[in-house]
Amino acid sequence: MTDALDPTGQQTRQRAAAAQLKRRYARERRFKLYGQLAIGIALAFLLLLVGRIFEQGHTAFYTHALTTPVYLDPARVDRVYPSGANYLQLAADQQAERLGVADDPVAVREVRDLLSSELNFVAAAAVEADPSRIGQTLQLRAPLDDSADLYLKGEISRNTPEDQRVLSDRQLDWLDQFKANGQIEARFNTVLFTRSDSTQPELAGVLGAVIGSALMLFVTAALALPIGVGAAVYLEEFAPKNRFTDLIEVNINNLAAVPSIVYGLLGLALFINWMHLPRSSPLVGGLVLALMSLPTIIIATRSALKSVPPSIREAALAVGASRTQAVFHHVLPLAAPGVMTGAIIAMAHALGETAPLLLIGMVSFVPGVPDALTDPSSALSVLVYIWENASERAFHERTAAAIMVLLTFMIAMNAVAIILRRRFERRW
Amino acid sequence: MAGSGGGASSADAGEAEAGAAARAPAGGDTALLGPIKVSARSVSVFYGEKQALIDVSLEIPDKTVTAFIGPSGCGKSTFLRCMNRMNDTIPAAKVTGGILIDGEDVNTRAVDPVLLRARVGMVFQKPNPFPKSIYENVAYGPRIHGLTTSKSEMDGIVESSLRRAGLWDEVADRLHSPGTGLSGGQQQRLVIARAIAVQPEVILMDEPCSALDPIATARIEELIDELRVQYCIVIVTHSMAQAARVSQRTAFFHMGKLVEHGPTEDIFTNPRERRTLDYITGRFG
Repeated sequence: MTDALDPTGQQTRQRAAAAQLKRRYARERRFKLYGQLAIGIALAFLLLLVGRIFEQGHTAFYTHALTTPVYLDPARVDRVYPSGANYLQLAADQQAERLGVADDPVAVREVRDLLSSELNFVAAAAVEADPSRIGQTLQLRAPLDDSADLYLKGEISRNTPEDQRVLSDRQLDWLDQFKANGQIEARFNTVLFTRSDSTQPELAGVLGAVIGSALMLFVTAALALPIGVGAAVYLEEFAPKNRFTDLIEVNINNLAAVPSIVYGLLGLALFINWMHLPRSSPLVGGLVLALMSLPTIIIATRSALKSVPPSIREAALAVGASRTQAVFHHVLPLAAPGVMTGAIIAMAHALGETAPLLLIGMVSFVPGVPDALTDPSSALSVLVYIWENASERAFHERTAAAIMVLLTFMIAMNAVAIILRRRFERRW
Repeated sequence: MAGSGGGASSADAGEAEAGAAARAPAGGDTALLGPIKVSARSVSVFYGEKQALIDVSLEIPDKTVTAFIGPSGCGKSTFLRCMNRMNDTIPAAKVTGGILIDGEDVNTRAVDPVLLRARVGMVFQKPNPFPKSIYENVAYGPRIHGLTTSKSEMDGIVESSLRRAGLWDEVADRLHSPGTGLSGGQQQRLVIARAIAVQPEVILMDEPCSALDPIATARIEELIDELRVQYCIVIVTHSMAQAARVSQRTAFFHMGKLVEHGPTEDIFTNPRERRTLDYITGRFG
């Protein structure tokens, strides 16, 4: 389009080019904005999730304990068999007397319901340590029952009608009184980390589950790492490249995408029903998780091996190294950062898996800490599931606390993966 | 078709010596041309269906530098790699024909390529030292071949190899620093030191200077001239000037065939084949 002012059409072209440039820059800015928006949304969700968990779970980290004077009545405490006495009833009776409701059996029961059965063990331990204490009055400190604890944390309020509450008005008054007297103190909830699962929320902890998870991960690592890395090294360096090995590679990639619950079914059928290994043990859990982690480890290791430049292999071969020597002396050390990252990520995934463990029986209630790989045990991820389904209100906050413990372990493992990878990275 | 100008083995060697006595060849004294070290008999290489090297027969004398020249893709690197059976590492490659080193055919199943590669060392185009210390780079070969029994022996081998590669003075104080931290020219000399540490008989060099600057190139060429007194050296090069400077014998390849070979001076001043003349005058390639 030429005219007298612009005979060669150059100005028109320049203007068109300038307009086009403006559009390109606008597109770039929009694209950057989308990217920032995406990151912002992801971060927002992350903060939301972590915030919710923290909000729900932080109250689980402290708990209230009551210090109450208990007169160890010789008539009710046997010197020969001190742990046989019902210290809980004893303390409740005495406390009811002090509150002036000793003749009302319902009231006495309500007083007893405020105390945890742990009081029995605390008192028995005190008496066994020094039997001369029988006949004296001891100040015994024991956790409060979970409902009392919840009231003191503000979870149970007087605003709900009494018949819809776990605690009666009377019990709430008594708790306020104890608080005013200074008999109640809030302390860090060590029970959460030193005890195993329990039907009583105030006595429930994650220890058994943590040990169970640790034992399981040990079995998983001991099996999946050597087999996975070995298989990947063989497939990548030594196996002939033909249709059969292609088929193997396709199958391994598919296995990595199989839902984990299918591995649970496999474990149930193979390890429990056919091999008769003990149900709900870290051994079977570790075996199932090892099968599940193998494809991930194999794929990550093969990828790391592929990334080592062929010039290193050629240099090793040219100096007279055999295939095996070239791989193990040169290629594998250079691939080590990638292998380690893949392995630790696979382990972190295995730590968080729940579905396969449920199928091999870990959903059962296991109160103790497993001693051996064949003992029944629980796992941290399964514990979260069990506590979430429990009926007591106090397990609500403990579920969130267990999730926080689980997430802390996973973050720690991923941090170790990153540190190790940085440490072992080498230039070539 | 066998390369024209290549005859029976003894006739060729005799012709080279007699002819060389009359003319002063480039690259040194002809009295150092040794007996035949490597003899190729009708060597062909197939990559799957494609034939990359067609019926090559060639004699390579000891204590000499033999240069392979030719345009890209003519098969000279492929032929070089046959001599230490590096083509075995390529799954689709098939090498037929006889490759005799000191009269013994090494292109058979009976010969272990691992042992062969200790006798025939290789230096690649891009320097590829191991990402280990300089000491470890040189010590690796002798260690896996069991050439030493004590640490002091190993120290001795490392020092002598680095000295002969002309690198000792520059790295003696940092033997345990990474080999990859050296400059390109130093890395290539390190690779040469690594190759001679296993006490080879033949050293193959695949365009060793193409990734280096002119000064480093000159040093490597000096080194090659020093080394040829002791080893049989075969060098593939794209630079005809380098071939003329460094080698005593030259072989010209074209499209998978060996076109002509003979004393370097003959090839560059008075080639027999038309194609050779066209190549060295720059008409193609």
